[in-house]
Amino acid sequence: MPPPSSRMTKNRPQPIRYRPGKAEVAEEASEDEESEQSDDEAAQEEVAAPRAPQPKATSFPSHNKLAVDLSKADQQTSAAPKSAPKKQDDDDLEGFVTASESSEEDEAGGSSDEEGADSSEEEEESSDDEPKKPMLRPTFISKAKRAQQATAQPQRSADDAAAEEERKRKEKADEMLQAQLERDAANRAAGRKAWDDDADINPEDEVDDTDGVDPEAERAAWKLRELKRVRRDRLAIEEKEKEREEIERRRNMTAEEREAEDKIYIDAQKEDREGKGQMGFMQKYHHKGAFFVGDEQDEEVQKVMNRDLAGARFVDETGDKGVLPEYMRIRDMTKLGKKGRTKYKDLKAEDTGRWGTELGNKRRDYDGLDDRFRPDERGGGGGEREQTGANAQPVGERRRREDDDGYRDRDGKRVRYD
Amino acid sequence: MAHQADAKKSLDERGYTGALIRGDNPLKLFEKAVRDRIVDSYYWKEQCFGLNAATLLDRAVELTFIGGTYGVAQKPTPFLCLAFKLLQLTPDKEIILFYLEQEEYKYLRALAAFYIRLAWEKDADVYTTLEPYLSDSRKLKRRIREGWALTHVDEFIDDLLLKNRVCATTLPKLNPRLFLEDEDRLEPRVSALGEELEELDHDDERDSASDGEVEELPNGHANGDGRPGSDGEVVSDEEMDGD
Repeated sequence: MPPPSSRMTKNRPQPIRYRPGKAEVAEEASEDEESEQSDDEAAQEEVAAPRAPQPKATSFPSHNKLAVDLSKADQQTSAAPKSAPKKQDDDDLEGFVTASESSEEDEAGGSSDEEGADSSEEEEESSDDEPKKPMLRPTFISKAKRAQQATAQPQRSADDAAAEEERKRKEKADEMLQAQLERDAANRAAGRKAWDDDADINPEDEVDDTDGVDPEAERAAWKLRELKRVRRDRLAIEEKEKEREEIERRRNMTAEEREAEDKIYIDAQKEDREGKGQMGFMQKYHHKGAFFVGDEQDEEVQKVMNRDLAGARFVDETGDKGVLPEYMRIRDMTKLGKKGRTKYKDLKAEDTGRWGTELGNKRRDYDGLDDRFRPDERGGGGGEREQTGANAQPVGERRRREDDDGYRDRDGKRVRYD
Repeated sequence: MAHQADAKKSLDERGYTGALIRGDNPLKLFEKAVRDRIVDSYYWKEQCFGLNAATLLDRAVELTFIGGTYGVAQKPTPFLCLAFKLLQLTPDKEIILFYLEQEEYKYLRALAAFYIRLAWEKDADVYTTLEPYLSDSRKLKRRIREGWALTHVDEFIDDLLLKNRVCATTLPKLNPRLFLEDEDRLEPRVSALGEELEELDHDDERDSASDGEVEELPNGHANGDGRPGSDGEVVSDEEMDGD
C-alpha cells in the first residue's frame, strides 16, 4: 500500500527553493525523503500507531502503546506527535536496536523512560547522520589500554548523557518549585497576603505609622491641627456674620444711597477694565480655558493664567500688522509660508454680502440726459413702450354684420334654402 | 432576611429587597466604576466571600492602610473592599459603634467612621458620633494613586465631615455644622482643647490693647476683636518646642 503522502501527488518532493524572507522548513523535506526510502525498502509496520496526519481504520494503537500511565497527563500529549517521526526512524534503522527503542517497548514505565525516549528520539535525528557517514575504521586497542580507557571513560553513550541531563534539569525545576512554594507559605504566614502582591513597594516610600515614636511631637502636632480647625470654624462664623450685617445695612439704607454705592462699584469695575491694554491689530487671542480654574491651582499658576495679554508684544512681533505686506497679515504667524495656506484671512474680509450698503446706489450717470441719449432699457422694456408707428394703436372692436342677429349655422356660412 | 453567603443578590440591582440607605441600595453609594473594580479584585474574591460581622472584624484588624483606588488600573484597597462589604451587610448600629469604640485597632476605627459617614442618615447623629474622635491623634497610612501619604485619625475624620470626596467615593450630602447650629439641632462644638483654648483667648485679650470691641460669647467662641491670625502665631511660639 503506497504510503500516504501529504501532498497528494506522485511527484517527488523537490528541495525547497530559496524564497527571500521565508524560513526554510528543512525537516519536512528530509522526512519525506525518508518515507520514500522506506517505501523502497518495503518494510511495513504492522503495528501502526495513529499518526497525526492520517489515522487508518485498520491500524489501531497497539496494546503496549496504549498502556500509558494516565497520571502522567502532561507527558501524554507528547506521545502522539512524537510517535510519527519515531516510527519513520524505526523503518530507517531496522535491526539497529537503540537503547531508546527497547525502552519504548516497555512503556508502562516511569517518567524518565518517557523523557529518555523523547530525548533519545531527539538524539536519534541527529544520530541519523552518523550511520550515513562513512564508518571509522576500528582500531585495535590492547587489553592493557582497554582497561585504562574503561576506567578513565567518564563519558557514556550520547543517549545516556542526554538522559542524565534531562534528569538534572528536572531536579532543578523541582527544587525551584519547592523553593517558590515555601516562600509563598512563609509570606502567607508572615502576614503578607497573596492579594497584596505589590512587590514593588519601595521601602523609601513606605510611611511609618507607628505611634508613640515621639509623643511630645505628636501631641504638639495634634494640638496644631486642632487649633487650625477651631480657627477655621471661627472664621466661617465671622464670614456669616459679616454677610448678615451687610444685608441688614443695605436694607436700612434708602434707595439713593444704594444707587450711590452701586455707582461706585460699577465705576471701579470700569476702571479695572480700562486698565487693561488694547489688543493690537490682529493680535492672537488666547482663551484661558474653562476648566482647571480656581482654588485648586497654585497662586503662581493663577497669576500666570490671569495676566493681561492685550497689547503684549514679544520678540519679532511688529506692533501693527498694517506695516506688513498683505501676505504677512495673518493672525497666527506660525502659519506663514506653509504649504496649503489659503488666502482666507478672516470672515470679515471674505464676506461678499452687501448688507444693505448699496441699496440707494442706483445708476445716476444718465439721469440728466435727454430721452434720446439714455441707454437702452435693461430687460427689454415691457414691450409696451414702443408707441410710434402704425401698429401702435390698439385694435378696435369688431363690426357685426346685419344678417346674423338670429340663429346661424355654426359654420358661419349662409343659410341654404335647398 | 436570611444571611446569604455571597450576598450576590445585593449586587444585582433588580429586585433588591434588603436594607435601604437613603431610599436606595446601599451599594449604590459607591460609583459603578469603583464597584466594578472592587468586585473584580482578588481581595474581594478571596477574602470577602461569606463574611459576616464577626469574621469581618478579623479581616479589619489586619488592615494596614486606608485609601480608595490606586495605581493605573484603579486597584481598590482592602479598606475599600471591607467598607463595601459593610455596606452589603448593613450591620446594626450597636455593632458599628462597637467597631468605632475599639481603641486598639485604629484602622478598624477608621473603617467604622467611614461607614457611619456613608450610611447614617441623621446629620446630627453623624456629627455627635464622630466628633469625639477628633482627639485621636494616631497616625494612619494612606494609599494614594501613586505612593503613600501619612495622615492621622483626626484628619481623616475631619475630611469625612468636610470634604466631598474621600477614598474614591462621593460622600452623601451632609448639612454643614453651622446650618445645624443655626437650627438648634446641634450645640456648637466643644474642642478637645477646651481649657487651653480659653487660656489662649484670655492671653490674646490681655495682650492686645483694646483697639476694638472685645465681645465674649459663650464657649469663648468668636474672637471678637477680629484678629484670628494671632491664635496660630501664639500657639506656634508656645507649643512647638518639641520640633
